[in-house]
Amino acid sequence: MKIKSILIANRGEIAIRIIRTAQKMGIRSYVIKTAKEPNAWYLDEADEVIDFTESIDSNIPEFLDIERIIDHAKKHKVDAIHPGYGFLAENPDFARRCEEEKIIFIGPSPDAIYRMGHKTIAKELARKHTVPLLGGSKGAVADAEEARTIASEIGYPVILKAAAGGGGRGMRIVGKEKDIERMFNLATKEAEKAFNNPDVFIEKYVREPRHIEFQILADKHGNLVHLGERECSVQRKHQKLLEESPSPALDEELRSRMGTAALKIARSVNYYSAGTVEFLMDEDNNFYFMEMNTRIQVEHPVTEMVTGIDLIEQMIRIAEGKTLPFTQDEIKLNGWAIEWRINAEDVQSGFSPSLGTIEKISWPENEHIRVDTGVRDGSVITPYYDSMIAKLIIHAEDREKALQQSTIAIRKFWIKGTKTTLAFCRAVLQNRNFRKGRFNTSFIGKELKIFYQHEADEEMLAAFFAAYDYAREIHEHEDKPLYTEKGKEIAPWVLNKRLR
Amino acid sequence: MDVKGRNFTRFLERRKLYENQHDTGAENRQHAKGKLTAWERIDILFDEDTFEEIDAYVTPDKSDTGFGKVQQAYGDGVIIGHGLIRGRLTFAYAQDFTVMGGSLGTVHAAKIMKIQDMAQKMGAPMIGLIDSGGARIQEGVASLAGYAGIFYRNVQSSGVIPQISVIMGPAAGGAVYSPSITDFVFMTNQTSYMFVTGPNVVKEVLNEDVTFNDLGGAGIHSKKSGVAHMVYEDEENTLLGVRQLLSYLPSNNMENPPEMEISEDETPDIEEKLRDIVPDDPNKPYDVKDVINLIIDKRSFLEISENYAQNIVVGFGRLDGKVIGIVANQPKTLAGTLDIDSSNKGARFIRFCDAFNVPLLILEDVPGFLPGIDQEHNGIIRHGAKMLYAFADSTVPRITVILRKSYGGAYCVMNSKNLGGDFNFAWPTAEIAVMGPEGAVAILYRKELAASEDPATMKKELAARYRNEIANPYVADERGFIDEVIDPAETRMKLIRSYEALETKFMNNPARKHGNIPL
Amino acid sequence: MARVAKKKKSTRLIALSASNKAYEFRKPLEKRVKYQGKTVDIKLREAPHGFTYIVWKNKKYMLDVIEKNQNRYTIMINGVWHSFTVETPISLKRRRFLEKQRETSSTVAVEAPMPGKIVEILVEEGSEVKEGEPIIILEAMKMQNEIASHASGVVKSIGVKQNDVVMKDDLLIEIQKG
Repeated sequence: MKIKSILIANRGEIAIRIIRTAQKMGIRSYVIKTAKEPNAWYLDEADEVIDFTESIDSNIPEFLDIERIIDHAKKHKVDAIHPGYGFLAENPDFARRCEEEKIIFIGPSPDAIYRMGHKTIAKELARKHTVPLLGGSKGAVADAEEARTIASEIGYPVILKAAAGGGGRGMRIVGKEKDIERMFNLATKEAEKAFNNPDVFIEKYVREPRHIEFQILADKHGNLVHLGERECSVQRKHQKLLEESPSPALDEELRSRMGTAALKIARSVNYYSAGTVEFLMDEDNNFYFMEMNTRIQVEHPVTEMVTGIDLIEQMIRIAEGKTLPFTQDEIKLNGWAIEWRINAEDVQSGFSPSLGTIEKISWPENEHIRVDTGVRDGSVITPYYDSMIAKLIIHAEDREKALQQSTIAIRKFWIKGTKTTLAFCRAVLQNRNFRKGRFNTSFIGKELKIFYQHEADEEMLAAFFAAYDYAREIHEHEDKPLYTEKGKEIAPWVLNKRLR
Repeated sequence: MDVKGRNFTRFLERRKLYENQHDTGAENRQHAKGKLTAWERIDILFDEDTFEEIDAYVTPDKSDTGFGKVQQAYGDGVIIGHGLIRGRLTFAYAQDFTVMGGSLGTVHAAKIMKIQDMAQKMGAPMIGLIDSGGARIQEGVASLAGYAGIFYRNVQSSGVIPQISVIMGPAAGGAVYSPSITDFVFMTNQTSYMFVTGPNVVKEVLNEDVTFNDLGGAGIHSKKSGVAHMVYEDEENTLLGVRQLLSYLPSNNMENPPEMEISEDETPDIEEKLRDIVPDDPNKPYDVKDVINLIIDKRSFLEISENYAQNIVVGFGRLDGKVIGIVANQPKTLAGTLDIDSSNKGARFIRFCDAFNVPLLILEDVPGFLPGIDQEHNGIIRHGAKMLYAFADSTVPRITVILRKSYGGAYCVMNSKNLGGDFNFAWPTAEIAVMGPEGAVAILYRKELAASEDPATMKKELAARYRNEIANPYVADERGFIDEVIDPAETRMKLIRSYEALETKFMNNPARKHGNIPL
Repeated sequence: MARVAKKKKSTRLIALSASNKAYEFRKPLEKRVKYQGKTVDIKLREAPHGFTYIVWKNKKYMLDVIEKNQNRYTIMINGVWHSFTVETPISLKRRRFLEKQRETSSTVAVEAPMPGKIVEILVEEGSEVKEGEPIIILEAMKMQNEIASHASGVVKSIGVKQNDVVMKDDLLIEIQKG
């Protein structure tokens, strides 16, 4: 069935990203306006805006309110819903409700979401299909005592993960036995809070692995391809900060082995749509299946740049029931792409969120640069959503050139209003081991000594600016003449009556 | 000095003695505490080379009370005099902690009273730089009498000339009441304290340990007690702050505040931004200071009591170069509700503006009074009444702009038309009604809601209808309680013209000794 | 009247960095600037699209005042922020003195690094803490953040309760150094 209209159950840059492809395909786009961001840019880009600003009794956040979204989708007779990433993107109930209401869910089947979302089931499937795995608990760990027992069996360090989690939330690494109880309680609480499910499982923690993920595309007719890998090892507390494709650590042979394993996982749940299979890889190039993300990823643009394939377009086509227009042999990785995540975070004090208004934002434009953003001049970074400002994607012939272009683009990427991670990006670019492609997930913790890079005279120039502004202000207060004469010449009409 | 045989010997001797009195050791001790000396403070406060000292040669009272002799020093620990601040005559006294700890003896007090009298006679601002150990115990009741005399003059001058107290060291016991009567209290972080009974007494009586800073430091008085209006990090900035404040004030109650010419780059740039500042969602906060800064001349806002009762914002600003006093509800804090502290803060500011001919601008977004047992029991009724009284009693031009909410009693209080508001404007986002939509329909449709199968939905629909039909600015506009519903982007222009029209306003209030404000 | 040695108003301004580095400039701060005795060429420019930048040794540096409170400044330059207090020679002397005094003071305040909600308090009054030990869990931006003690000692007082919503810089816990 041809999709003629899409409701985008998301916001920010990904909403705009989906609108762009919808426009290209002649599809009408609908977005949701919330009271938290009534002036957001994505609202202006869509064809239709559905108003969710009216306060209702429910305290479910707008983009998580399944029934409200379904209601409005029906009311506006939209053909399909694209969930973007986060929010309801990996919620099997939502996908099922769409199915029930005959709305096309642009994503995989509810069953695939459920099974891949449930870490223990996913692991079981991997085991069955002989994809390598890390040791750990068979399922959710009952209590801190059991956690202690299992942890001593597989040996420290271990990692605690929320069964329903993803994206680094609800994860805790425990290095020593004395911390296991406290960390277990913390992880459970956080999992409960974040995913409404306190289940936590334990796994052997691989020290200093690489984080490599494979992009999968599969149609409803059993055709699957992978679009190569993304290197996501530069992370802080399991939050990705930059991604590249391909990975400097893979060769053709390894790529093909890992790709095949990724496809096995996807096939095990009759996967269709776009998805991502994540692996950990140790120093000796042994890789282990971690999880599969059953949605479009934040970092999908790097894959798009090197393959030339519009992933959102493919998701929509697959949802319409079309077959994949290419086979595995036809997928070629062309050049090198790096995505720099520019977040409103204070790198100098532990990456804490820096809220506020983006007064001005500007970046250079050329054939190497793609910027995906939901932010324009005057946009507000609110505490309600993530702190992303923009994704700067650089595409060039090879890694060396991509890094060169990154340096230039980042220097000219100007943002006024909040603190940003731009200086962090510069620090990474300065690092010799990063430049040589020698890094893993411990890069930020161990290798990168300073999280922000600045040049010799910058502090002096900043000091000058502070002194300049101070002097100007004092000057403004002090040196402007005061006119008191007029104040003394008051009309007798008034003056005589001033006394009471 | 060539005195041609005339007898200037004594004159020269005295001058020499005075100069020798300068004690470098004491100066260094003061510096070592992070404080400046009295003379250094005066140098910063006044325009260069304009200060004239008087009574430099007085000496302390010589009578011996039996508790030890008082150190004989010229000046008795306080400098008094006059000078210019930004070209305008200003009187000041500065207590000198290096002389007998700045303690207040008879002569010391007499000097302060002398300069207070002069300031009032001349109709010029009076500034006290306070750094004193308190009453001089050796001089007994005489020094207490001195305090009383100072208080009396503070009260007599109140509303006649601006009085500013700058606390630059300790101010304990009786010494705190003079500042509290004056119009503005400045404090310097970490080196100034104010308390009625010190930590030692608190320890003795209540057995509670408390530090000077926690009992009466600048932080406490600017955030919790509201005693200090302005707090600065160091003495230099404190004194520059006094100069800045004075630039908004007239010299006395017969003058208008000084004007300033404004340049092109001082008009706020994007007034259209005002249209987007108030969120559509009535429950969403915003910073009213953003509104203020987009209406008045750029960088002209001087906030008073910034950290105290933050649900109301008060301060001086310039509109086209002319000084106005701004009173604004702050939706960012406690949703901008009025409570005891904010009523007190607002009322005192309004009284000051009225006394010194500073026109008032009220920016209103108030959902009502803060509900609560605590508030009721502590007397929100009489405290809230102060603000109401202050508005109704003031004769300066007053203009209200309703930005968003204006409900119930709080509508009346915030300078409503019938309280004597000269111009009352509203933005299209205004909601004016007896109470908020949700509360109103719950009362109006109590029976119907109780009978309904789906009361939640019904309530929502009714509330939406209420908001649409009643809680908007148009009903009030059509009945004349609002003079005009205006485009937010035009607010500045509208206000400039309205204040111009009000320049010759006078009011014939009935003759009386004074009203009886509900203290 | 007779009075003690008069000082001229100073024309120097010192921007003191967080790490106590002093940058001294001589007023006026226009065009050619006197910086620590030397005349240097700092060109301050406004770009048409609303950015302010300095041209220094043929390079552009984007600048922004991101926080300002009296004489305390946070300046962003090329994406990195620096904090300064702008001092005159007199106020600098005072600051140096007070700093020395504070070093000897025995309590350390742990303040909220960002606005959020207190999820859990991991210590009690009187409990011993080590530097770096987590003492409070603060939820902000959907993340639970461990707030660590920045000193070793004993918890003197706790300024918040579970589920309290705190603003940035609100006092969370006071620690008696030991």
